[in-house]
Amino acid sequence: MRMEIHEQACRGCRMCVEICPTKVLTFDEEACLAKVGKVEDCIACLSCTYLCPSGAIHQEDYPRVKNFYRDLEFCGRMEKFL
Amino acid sequence: MDTLTEERATLQETMSFLGAISSGIEDAVGESAGSITYVAGKDLGKRFAQQAKRTDDLEEALAVVRAVLAENQCLWQFETFQPSDRESLVRSTEEGEEILLVFRDCMIRQALFLYGHHQKGSLCNMMFGFFAGAVETIMGRKSSLEVLHAGENACLKRLLIHR
Ligand code: SF4
Ligand code: SF4
Repeated sequence: MRMEIHEQACRGCRMCVEICPTKVLTFDEEACLAKVGKVEDCIACLSCTYLCPSGAIHQEDYPRVKNFYRDLEFCGRMEKFL
Repeated sequence: MDTLTEERATLQETMSFLGAISSGIEDAVGESAGSITYVAGKDLGKRFAQQAKRTDDLEEALAVVRAVLAENQCLWQFETFQPSDRESLVRSTEEGEEILLVFRDCMIRQALFLYGHHQKGSLCNMMFGFFAGAVETIMGRKSSLEVLHAGENACLKRLLIHR
């Protein structure tokens, strides 16, 4: 797994640091930027990536879950229950 | 449609249906929905593990749970997780033995996301119950599975085998 935070995109909100369950991300107080710390502890939950308001976090080479098919036929059948 | 696609489509429909039901239960009976589904899952876990090998080794017990799930066509893969600052995979605490687990390809999460239901609800509880029931049967000790983090692509859980 590789992970990067684009410095120019990060607005220093700390949301990624707070959400990370395994404390991979740290915060540089002086620069007011999030940094990648122990990437080996990342479980690839992608919460930081989804949460980041600037889209500044980028991961590569991680186990990606296969989503259910968004097939209209199946969705149509299930909609009646919802 | 090939067989795998068909099987996955059937699983998808079933899980989406369960997602809808569990969300409905939560609205209808409120907070006790979680306990009801937990107990239902636990019974199922005990039943599935009835014939499984008994062991008091936690790592071996997890391998047996994995086999039980596979034998019953349950697509629910998990792996153990050891943070870099922990000296061992299994940690001994006052409450008992603790191990961290990462769940990736989770059919429940997929079903919930498809229609925007929230995580950590009654359907998740059913699977925690299932896990606890299976581990209890295999190890002969009380256990609990707690969600530490429910993520978009993986969830982190703590399995505790009580003293
Ligand atoms: S969530 Fe995004 S913008 Fe906020 S601190 Fe983290 S990287 Fe920076
Ligand atoms: S993907 Fe999850 S575990 Fe990895 S850094 Fe982001 S929040 Fe932390």
